[in-house]
Amino acid sequence: MKNFEHVDARSLAEASRLLTEKPSVAIAGGQDLLCMMKDGLLEPARVVNLKSIPGLSRIVYDEAKGLSIGALVTLSELEEHPAVRQLYPAIAQAAGLVGSPQIRNLGTAGGNLCQKPRCWYYRGHFPCLRRGGDYCSAAAGQNRYHCILGGDPCYMVHPSDLAVPLVAFGARVEIAGPKGRRSVPLEEFYIPPRVDVTRETILRPGEVVTAIVVPPARGRISAFVKFAERGAWDFAVASVAVVVQKGEDGKLMGGRVVLGGVAPVPWLAPKASEALTGSELSEAAFGRIAELALEGAQPLAQNGYKVPLTKSLVRKALRMAVNA
Amino acid sequence: MAKKLVRSVWDFENEWVETVAEVPERLPEPWAPDRPLRVAGQKYPRVDGYQRVSGDARYAFDIQLPRMLHGKILRSPLPHARVKQIRAEKALALPGVVAVFTHENIPPIPWYGDSFLFDPHVRYEGDEVALVVAESEAVAEEALGLIEVDYEPLPFVIDPEEALAAGAPKLHDEGNLWNGRPNVYERGDVEKGFQEADVVVEDTFRTQVVHHAQLEVHVCVADWEGDQLTVYETTQATFSVQRSLASILKLPLNKVRVVNYFMGGGFGSKLGLEKQTVLAALAAKQLGRPVRIANPRKDEFLAMGNRPSSIQKLKVGAKRDGTLTAISLWSLGPGGAYRSAGAELGTPVREIYKCPNVRTEESTVYINAGPARPKRAPGHPQGTFALESILDEVAEKLGMDPLEFRLKNYAEIDQVRNRPYTSKYLREAYEAGAKAIGWYEKRNKIPGSGVGPIKRGIGMATQIWGGGGGPPAYATVEIVSDGSVIVRSGSQDIGGGTRTIVAQVAAEELGIPMDRVTVIMGDTALCPYGPTSGGSVTAASITPAVLAAAVEAREQLKGYAASALNVPADQLAWEPGRFFLKSDPGKSISFEEAASRLRSNMIVVTGARGPNPEGYTINSFGAQFAEVEVDTETGRVRVLKIVAAHSVGRLINPLTGRCQFEGGIIMGLGFALLENRWMDPNVGRMINTNLHDYRVPTMMEIPEIEVIIVSEPDTKANPVGGIGIGEPAIIPTAAAIANAVYNAIGVRVRELPITPYRVLEALGKA
Ligand SMILES: Cc1cc2nc3c(=O)[nH]c(=O)nc-3n(C[C@H](O)[C@H](O)[C@H](O)COP(=O)(O)OP(=O)(O)OC[C@H]3O[C@@H](n4cnc5c(N)ncnc54)[C@H](O)[C@@H]3O)c2cc1C
Ligand code: SF4
Repeated sequence: MKNFEHVDARSLAEASRLLTEKPSVAIAGGQDLLCMMKDGLLEPARVVNLKSIPGLSRIVYDEAKGLSIGALVTLSELEEHPAVRQLYPAIAQAAGLVGSPQIRNLGTAGGNLCQKPRCWYYRGHFPCLRRGGDYCSAAAGQNRYHCILGGDPCYMVHPSDLAVPLVAFGARVEIAGPKGRRSVPLEEFYIPPRVDVTRETILRPGEVVTAIVVPPARGRISAFVKFAERGAWDFAVASVAVVVQKGEDGKLMGGRVVLGGVAPVPWLAPKASEALTGSELSEAAFGRIAELALEGAQPLAQNGYKVPLTKSLVRKALRMAVNA
Repeated sequence: MAKKLVRSVWDFENEWVETVAEVPERLPEPWAPDRPLRVAGQKYPRVDGYQRVSGDARYAFDIQLPRMLHGKILRSPLPHARVKQIRAEKALALPGVVAVFTHENIPPIPWYGDSFLFDPHVRYEGDEVALVVAESEAVAEEALGLIEVDYEPLPFVIDPEEALAAGAPKLHDEGNLWNGRPNVYERGDVEKGFQEADVVVEDTFRTQVVHHAQLEVHVCVADWEGDQLTVYETTQATFSVQRSLASILKLPLNKVRVVNYFMGGGFGSKLGLEKQTVLAALAAKQLGRPVRIANPRKDEFLAMGNRPSSIQKLKVGAKRDGTLTAISLWSLGPGGAYRSAGAELGTPVREIYKCPNVRTEESTVYINAGPARPKRAPGHPQGTFALESILDEVAEKLGMDPLEFRLKNYAEIDQVRNRPYTSKYLREAYEAGAKAIGWYEKRNKIPGSGVGPIKRGIGMATQIWGGGGGPPAYATVEIVSDGSVIVRSGSQDIGGGTRTIVAQVAAEELGIPMDRVTVIMGDTALCPYGPTSGGSVTAASITPAVLAAAVEAREQLKGYAASALNVPADQLAWEPGRFFLKSDPGKSISFEEAASRLRSNMIVVTGARGPNPEGYTINSFGAQFAEVEVDTETGRVRVLKIVAAHSVGRLINPLTGRCQFEGGIIMGLGFALLENRWMDPNVGRMINTNLHDYRVPTMMEIPEIEVIIVSEPDTKANPVGGIGIGEPAIIPTAAAIANAVYNAIGVRVRELPITPYRVLEALGKA
């Protein structure tokens, strides 16, 4: 790791200024940033601490406005928050399945959404389009853990667990930067590789995420299922978040099915989401939704297994949501 | 003490070594199985447990010396290349950099037979190219990036089968196949055996490369005072490091001291002198300051060893009644880029079961990847996985219960050396293990017949290993006037609890409490010779020496007791804690009182390990039973329970012993289900050089573990009666899990690790 200066930002405005003066990065919990720096993938001259900015670590629930999660709320806080557990169980479940207790105690919601890719070629100094190289090492290399949807030309999978249920709930990201504030739906926060293979998010220099706002729960039910090879300290091989409502007729209505670990961005499955409306609460109906969720999957040489695996997780998430 | 020289043959890491050792004429009375023991055989927490968990223990990694410099090694980024030129000017210009060493300014010290300390012909990603020495680790690391090296890339090969093909890139003059031919063993006539068989099964099995992944990276600190070199080193081989280092540096042995008080694991990756230790010593000498070199985790994966992968073609023939008629094995594995450890794995095939016709043909090849090193029971977990899998296949074809089939082919003697074992309680292990796992109730009679997507299964596997140890091994026992005792032995406590069992043996025989004994190990300047801790030989080698020294020291103390009581020594007898008059047992003197008569005298006795019994093989045996649950929708295998029933002589400390089994089983589980070295086939580099992409088990994977020791103390093997347990623990775990997976899903996965994707593929779902 190269030497750098560490500056505590006192306000959002100061953070934006500090971040744009010289090659800088923001640090929240540091659980990802330090990996990037130790591996020599980021060599900033300055590290700007966001934890010193007051007011960014609150969770506020309001029946009319919904849930506001400050960017610096830790994953443990999110996991344990009573309103989140009760009204947005998929979010609490996802927060509770990140890494390990140590990582959750320090890692923040904002940092989780902004974390860098975990593709092992990207992290291991191999030829990589995303890092400005000539080709993607994963395409013809070891791609057991790579994507089956939305790849080309980069086949990484988005590493964030939290983003998956947040997209399912239709969350928005609040952003502050040198040119003021803006707010975007989380699914538009991420840039698919076909649009720009070198950037993961729409954040511009000096911009930071201040909060994540989730619409009111209003009787929606939800579930998050994560599958990783290890029971802890492991990224998702595949994950699924389902948010849906139970209609008076005993059928489902509205809602979203979102897949994690299988695409370079949290993957909102449009047809499966549409098919939720009017679906019965039966295994057969869940099976159909699962088929639709994986429609168009294009596995690489080694990761065909992700298709049946993810389908089974969709069924399981639906079961979990309706039985909760 | 009168001594004699004997020749002794014993098993070290699966190789039979012959040593000439000085042993005592008079051996201590063995601890008979029915002798009640007060301290030995009891559950004592580790004597250094508090130090280890509180951060108090000083590992080689923690050593900080005044004026110490830090070294970092530049490693080849290419799998195969020739170093054309190295320019170090920019690195040397960085403030804080003290020196850069390369093949141009370091003598060509031979290494790996045909290579050198720094060899301009680099043969794997991670091969050593240069050493930077700087005022801090950070500066040294930065300087690595400033050394400019011109490499001429050479064609590489990382696949063992491709390495054997004609026209494959050659790593060494001898060609890629070690010795130019396979290792062949034959007994009887396998062709005839297969003809006699009613059932013949043939299959190919594969296992992956796994790493030691020990917590403490390789680290050393070299410090010269005048012409006296002290090296703090994390090693399983304190004395062997001393000897190799002295010989390379052309120093007398008494000028080299190797210190290794605490160790954070080795598992076979720390069995000898390291290149960086030599480099640290050379640099420290030249620069006149201590030099420390600690590896980053990445280098551990690249360069510090691995368990080689394997391809195993097995063929087994049996008669209708279950009698084995023939087994043949063909195996191939990579030794990596240099000759460090081979890929042989045939011992289980040759030795576990009674079979008249056996042929094994084992090959090791060079590939452009990190050299293999022995890893916890080299060859055995992978060999056992294949053998025990195919035996289950044969049993199924015969319609026999797998346990019954194994009992039918029980080997009463060592068939390779044609002689009996000192002890073998494998039948008892089968029986106890089967009972504890619920073999007859829980096992699916029809594999895969469980209902629902989550299926359970039971499987088992057998283990054989050496671990009898042998001479030379010494220990000194020192009694001083306050009745406290110091025991010294030159072996090392590599984390298994050796210090604790040494204290127990001494406390037992001296009749004193454990806290009166201090044990010093891992220091060539303070301790008499003790063996390298590999092959599970440490306990069985040194505890008899401790016993011998303790018996003799107590005998000497008896003289002081006698003078205190004013009687001739031969009228005194001993029972734990006191000497008493044979004719008047009421008249006695305690150990402490007798010791107080020493005043400034001290009793110092060196005990030596006696020879192994002639005409016997000393082995451990065991069987592990696994219960697993397989989710057929996701492919996940969860191990619910492992029962480990082993025949290992006497367990000197059931607590530390249990830890060894738990550790071995967890490591075996990682081998079975999770761990894998991933190489990129296109550029020949390792991809997962970190501990989250290289998945060792976490607490979440650890099943219920039940350990059952079925053996009696093996006093035929040595007077204490213990046989090593460090390696037996890991051997059958993966095989038992694999057999349990088959029993659960009815489909056999013949390649490790049994990951979700392999299970889904085996089930035909992907
Ligand atoms: C071993 C290990 C296992 C892990 N497992 C998982 C897992 O299972 N699931 C998972 O989702 N993640 C996992 N992570 C990734 C990650 O570290 C954590 O999820 C954590 O939430 C990151 O948050 P942080 O606050 O520590 O981020 P930091 O490391 O501080 O920041 C991460 C990145 O986001 C940027 N950033 C941080 N906050 C903001 C902000 N408010 N606005 C703009 N940019 C910002 C930083 O500049 C940096 O580039 C794992 C990490 C490790 C090391
Ligand atoms: S998948 Fe993407 S991140 Fe990985 S090597 Fe290819 S381009 Fe780089």
